[in-house]
Amino acid sequence: MNIIVTVKQVADPNIPPAHIQLDPDGKRIISPFGVPPVMNGYDANALEEAIRLKEAHGGKITVLGLGDDTSRESLKMAVAMGADTAVLINDPELVNGDSATIGRALAAAIKKIGLPDLVLCGRQSSDTDGGQVLHWLAEALDLPTVVPVTKIEAVEGNQLTVHRLIEDGYQRLKVELPALLGVSSEINEARHPSVRGTMAAGRAMISGWKAADIGLAAQTPKVELRELQIQLRTTKAELIGGASGAQKGAALADKLHELGLI
Amino acid sequence: MAGVLVFGDTVGGKLAPASLEMAVAGAALAQALNEPLIGALIGDGLDAAAVEFTGGFTALHLLEGKQLRPYTARAAIAAARAAIDACQPTVVLFPHTSETREWAPRLAAMLDTGLVMDCTALSAEGSDLVVSKPVYGGGVVAQYVVRGATRLVTVRTGVFEAKVGAAAGAINKIAVADAPAGRVTLIDEHKLQVEGGVRLKDATTIVSGGRGLGGPDNWHYIEETAGSIGAAVGCSRPVADSGWVSSAHQVGLSGTSVKPDLYIAVGISGAVQHLAGISNSSTVVAINVDGDADMFTRANYGVVGDYKEVLPGFVARAKEIRG
Repeated sequence: MNIIVTVKQVADPNIPPAHIQLDPDGKRIISPFGVPPVMNGYDANALEEAIRLKEAHGGKITVLGLGDDTSRESLKMAVAMGADTAVLINDPELVNGDSATIGRALAAAIKKIGLPDLVLCGRQSSDTDGGQVLHWLAEALDLPTVVPVTKIEAVEGNQLTVHRLIEDGYQRLKVELPALLGVSSEINEARHPSVRGTMAAGRAMISGWKAADIGLAAQTPKVELRELQIQLRTTKAELIGGASGAQKGAALADKLHELGLI
Repeated sequence: MAGVLVFGDTVGGKLAPASLEMAVAGAALAQALNEPLIGALIGDGLDAAAVEFTGGFTALHLLEGKQLRPYTARAAIAAARAAIDACQPTVVLFPHTSETREWAPRLAAMLDTGLVMDCTALSAEGSDLVVSKPVYGGGVVAQYVVRGATRLVTVRTGVFEAKVGAAAGAINKIAVADAPAGRVTLIDEHKLQVEGGVRLKDATTIVSGGRGLGGPDNWHYIEETAGSIGAAVGCSRPVADSGWVSSAHQVGLSGTSVKPDLYIAVGISGAVQHLAGISNSSTVVAINVDGDADMFTRANYGVVGDYKEVLPGFVARAKEIRG
């Protein structure tokens, strides 16, 4: 089964809120010094699932990213985990594109690579929380989609049986290949790179494609980012004191009772 | 073409409370844009929900068909397109649910129009539609201008205050034909039973535990505390990832977004992705041995101390209070 996994590099979501920084024009979140950006967590789950499918059914995994040249680090990580090849779209005109532009650029790149049996994406990225790119990509390639997928239960011929998360449980759906799945974190725990994988990643040549290379026409943005604003958290918790831990606990119960909360 | 089209939502044939929030959000926008406000519901058997879905709509479109319940994206998109075709709106609002977040983006791509999801504020600047939404797990707010002939927005629930409005001027039933079989077919649905019977997302009181508890052997502290005040049990992502408890309990960006009156976080550091899931909680309490934990920046009340001492003291007093 040939699989393409889309990978986005994002600022580490485990940065404490007080350390979030914006670039000078207020349009991008930048990683604070000493906290390198990481592969989007859901994308890592998508890649892990691709590797498990390859281990069970054979095939080839291509990881595809769109971002500036620093994004090569996440693609190398993907190769270290088990992807066979990596491609980066690093056109400055596209890097700050809206979901429609990025989805269509990824679709154009996939056409150039060759349509796989399965496209796996993270359900959303942890920086913009947009959750749209995969759908624009799917529409451009006319692929059926299921999002968010928490399990691939069975692979039979050109059909997958998958679980889709709903509010109070899950749906089971049959999906005809080729298809695109938006993967959620419940599906697996992403592996760490092996030593051999890390060596392979060191040797990996990662292509850098521009809009012209993938035959992408100029796009009119449908959504324009005006600005980002850091939410200042000025709330200071009122501390509940006491001579001992147990007394603090009792004082907390009294306080919440006074407020009518318990 | 003109109009602000507002989609409501139904659960088990009843109008979901978020529907009236959408009507309020849509009414303000329709007034600012000087365009009519139109309502729509998608489902199978909508008469009861239609009576409750008020907001001064000039017309309320009911998109009905057996294939619309249980939900599949393809059927929902076909129904939404029928409503949009019927009234040619310039703006369409949907409640942000696990369903719309799957099908609204595909609809946007099909219509080749702008969409922003999970918005918490909407305004008209001239004819421009300006929306805000939390990004980066809620630590940052992004403001966008949405473009396109039919601009789409999903609106976070629990942000606008629901109000009962005037009944719709007209009810328009549209039967949606079942399309031929697609490439995605629903096999069945499985409901997960949450212990204690309280669904996390509906819970009014939640006690949540994090990595600070040290290990699964200490999880009983959380359960006993929750039990003492009739609360639902939640957990942070590391706890679910480590398998201490089922991920059905996970609160946060990748788990469940909650909006309780009282949220007690025990041994949770307060990573952005956890805080994002509790942003609609009324009162937040942090209990942590580390007084510098980020959880204290979001909490209204804090206890700096060892949970192994604090929680038993809390439980004993709570039991006295509650008799």
